[in-house]
Parts: sequence; structure tokens; C-alpha cells
Amino acid sequence: MAEKHRAGVEIMSDSKSARAAGDEQLLSQSGVSALLRGALLRLLESRPEDPVGFLAEHFAHLSSEAEDGASERQSVSRALWHLSLAHHSHRSAFNNNVRVAYELLTQGVPRRLSAGGVRGRLYSEMLRCLCSEGGLSGSTAAPLLRRVQSHDYESVPFELFRQGVLTCAVFADYIRKSQCLYAAVASAPDRPAERTLCHAVLSTLRDALETADGIDVARYLEASAKISPAKVAQAMAEVQPRAQRHDGPTMDAQEFEDAAAALFIARVRTVT
Amino acid sequence: MSAKAVSCTIKSPVALQIGDAVSDSSRPGVYITDITLAEPVNIQEISFKNYYTAYVTVRLQRRQGGSAKWVTCLRNYCLMSNPHAEAGSHDYFSIYRHQMLTEPDSVTTVRLILRQPSSEWLNFSIEEINIYPCAKEDSERDVPAWISTLTPVEEPLDLNGLPDPETVSSSIQQMWALTEIMQASQTAASIGRFDVDGSYDVKLLSYT
Repeated sequence: MAEKHRAGVEIMSDSKSARAAGDEQLLSQSGVSALLRGALLRLLESRPEDPVGFLAEHFAHLSSEAEDGASERQSVSRALWHLSLAHHSHRSAFNNNVRVAYELLTQGVPRRLSAGGVRGRLYSEMLRCLCSEGGLSGSTAAPLLRRVQSHDYESVPFELFRQGVLTCAVFADYIRKSQCLYAAVASAPDRPAERTLCHAVLSTLRDALETADGIDVARYLEASAKISPAKVAQAMAEVQPRAQRHDGPTMDAQEFEDAAAALFIARVRTVT
Repeated sequence: MSAKAVSCTIKSPVALQIGDAVSDSSRPGVYITDITLAEPVNIQEISFKNYYTAYVTVRLQRRQGGSAKWVTCLRNYCLMSNPHAEAGSHDYFSIYRHQMLTEPDSVTTVRLILRQPSSEWLNFSIEEINIYPCAKEDSERDVPAWISTLTPVEEPLDLNGLPDPETVSSSIQQMWALTEIMQASQTAASIGRFDVDGSYDVKLLSYT
């Protein structure tokens, strides 16, 4: 009796371990475990609000990447999706995504043509889409794009690609911040802001940006001393003596945004 | 500490020996070194590197009024706790104003009397002698102009009807930081729009 039981138990465990060995083999042969690991890593890097939707898009993109002959339109949209995964302040994740996007845009082109980098036309289109996805209107983004985009026939190396993408992402944030600033200066949602106040505020920003060159730390300290709350209060009080508040000419939001954008764009290096 | 050393002339040490220096073969146990200063100095610190000297006595010649007077400001200052052993034999020493018996002001000459009673060592001396004067009050380094504007204005500003400076300042700071990020990421990479195979060659340009 005991022998039969023992034999029965042994046979059961043999088949179980055989199945387990088959399972492990299946997973490693098909590369599924590596796929899942990659998907989970991307999820952790980008921390989206909708994890299931993110995973669905991730696998959809993976399967379409496996096909050959993807059209340019698709490459650009896939590259844009990768770039939207991480905010530019998450520096290492953002850099990884830029690298992936660059690879996407350079593949599918014969090696000798893509030796220099991404085709200029694709690069310019990428930047345009980035700006519009960042909430920038065509007229706001146009001066920036004039400085950073390339001719259609040129090919863009990786460093320049990364710089252009980062500049557009940062510019989108900058314009959003300038809109908040206008709202703060206006001090009432329905009334436009005083022109003198707007000029005072923009000139404090310009002063800080134009701090003379020197050691980085000293430059940052000096610039931040110029835009401290006390300094800003002083600048505003100087241009608006008590009697004249709420009386003078006003500046509307678009003009303020354009002036702020000009400060930023003046410091962007033109591509040569 | 940041004051520069005063320039001085250090004379070569003179040995004090009993008997005739030429015929007597025993090694001297006392050396005297004089240091002349170009102009009268208020000494803050004397620093030197020791080389097997056991005791040092410092005498100063001060010019007061019209007369020059010799005073002892440090007597038998011990540099090596055991003259036969190595401890302290190669150390750096500094003698400060407050260690001296008299005020080292208007000093024209410094005389160092070095003694080494042990017969272990063939030679002894002190090297790299530097004399530092007292720092002047008005020789501070230049303070950047913006630091003086950091203290807030005395009279309170009238902020009625003006936007809140904290909010405005915080938005400006973020915009400034974003611009700095953009500027910091600028590379020198170029598309090579004006390059001809990486070089300018006059002959090639004529073919393009």
C-alpha cells in the first residue's frame, strides 16, 4: 500500500515538473518575459494617469514597429508618442525617449543616406507637431521654429535633434508660465493688466536674464536677487504711484505673451 | 591668513662656537640667522619649516622714535620635545603676535637664535621663513554690488491695488529657470550647412 502511494506521488510530481519546465521554456523562447519587463519599466518611467490605456498603446506601437515599411506619417506620430511619455524635467527618462524617437525616425532609410541623422523635413514636422501639442498657437511658435528648424534636404544629427526637441518642450512650459504671470499681474480675471506694470515685470525678467557672465553659481545668485519678491514689489511700486492705479493704458494677454516669448526666443541659438 | 608675506632678506646662519672655527672640528650647537625687513612692519605671524632645530629664540629690533632697540619676544621656544628624537624635526611652525612677549610693531630686523643640544644631527636650520604683516582694515576683497541691495528697504512700500509680489515673483523665477535650462542645453553641434566635407577649400567651392 505504502509503495503504491509513494509511486503515485512520484508520478504526479514528475508530470507537474515537466509542465513547469515546458512553461519556462515557452516564456524564454518567445521572449514574452522580456517584453513584459520592458512594458513595466516604461510604465514606471512615465507614470501615466491611465495605465491600462498606456499599456495598450505601448503594445500597439510595438506590433506596428515590427512591420516593415511604416509610413513617415506613422513614424512621426510614434516618435511624438514616445516624447510625450516623460516631462523634460525628468531628465534621464526624457533623454531615453529622445533617443528612441531619433532611432524611429532614422530607421527605414538606407544606411548611407541616414548617416548624418534625421531628414530635415521629418525634423521640422516633428517640431511643429510638438509645439502644437504643447498648446502653442502657430503664430507664437513661428519665430522659434524659424530659429531651430532645418531645411528639408538637410540631415539633423542626434545632438541637434535633442536640443530642438528640448527647446520646444521648454518653450511650451515657458508660454504657459507667462500666461500665469499675466493672470497674476492683471489681478482681476475680467480686466486687462496695466501696461506700465507689464513693462515693469518684463523688464525685471530681462534684467535677470541679462546678468553678466561669470561663474554659474555667482550668476544664479545675482539673477535670483534681482527677481526676489521684494525687488519685484519695489519695481511695481515705482512705476505705479498710488494715485494712478487702475487708470492707465492696458496691455492685452496676447501682446504680453508675445513680449515674453521674444525674451526667450532671443536666447535660442539659430541652427547653422 | 590671506595677507602676503613681507619681502625680507635672510642672511646666512652664523654659528656660535667656542674656540677657533677653523681648527675646531666639533659641530656647532647654536646658529644665528638675521632677517632684515625693507621697512618697519607690524608683524602678525612668522612661519617657517623646521629642520632638526630643537629650540628657537626670537629677538626683534624695533625702531621707535629715532632709536633702535633689541627686545626678546620668544625665549627658547621648543620645536622638538626630545632633541635626540625625530618628533618635530620637519614640522611647519607659526609664531603669532599673541605668543610674543612684546608687541612686534615697527620691526626692522628679526634675529632667530637656533639651538640644538643633541649631537645626533649633523646639521640643523630652519627654512622657508615668511613674515606676515598685520592685515589692514580697508583691504577687504571687493563685495559684489548686488549683495548690498539684498537688505530690504526701510520704509514699507504701499502695495494697495498692486498685484501680489510673491505670486508675480514666483512666476518670473520659473520663467527665468526655464530659459536657463534651454540655454544650458544648447550644443555647439551644427547641421553643417556651410561645410564642404568639413573644410573650406577654395577650389571645391567653385564647383558647387
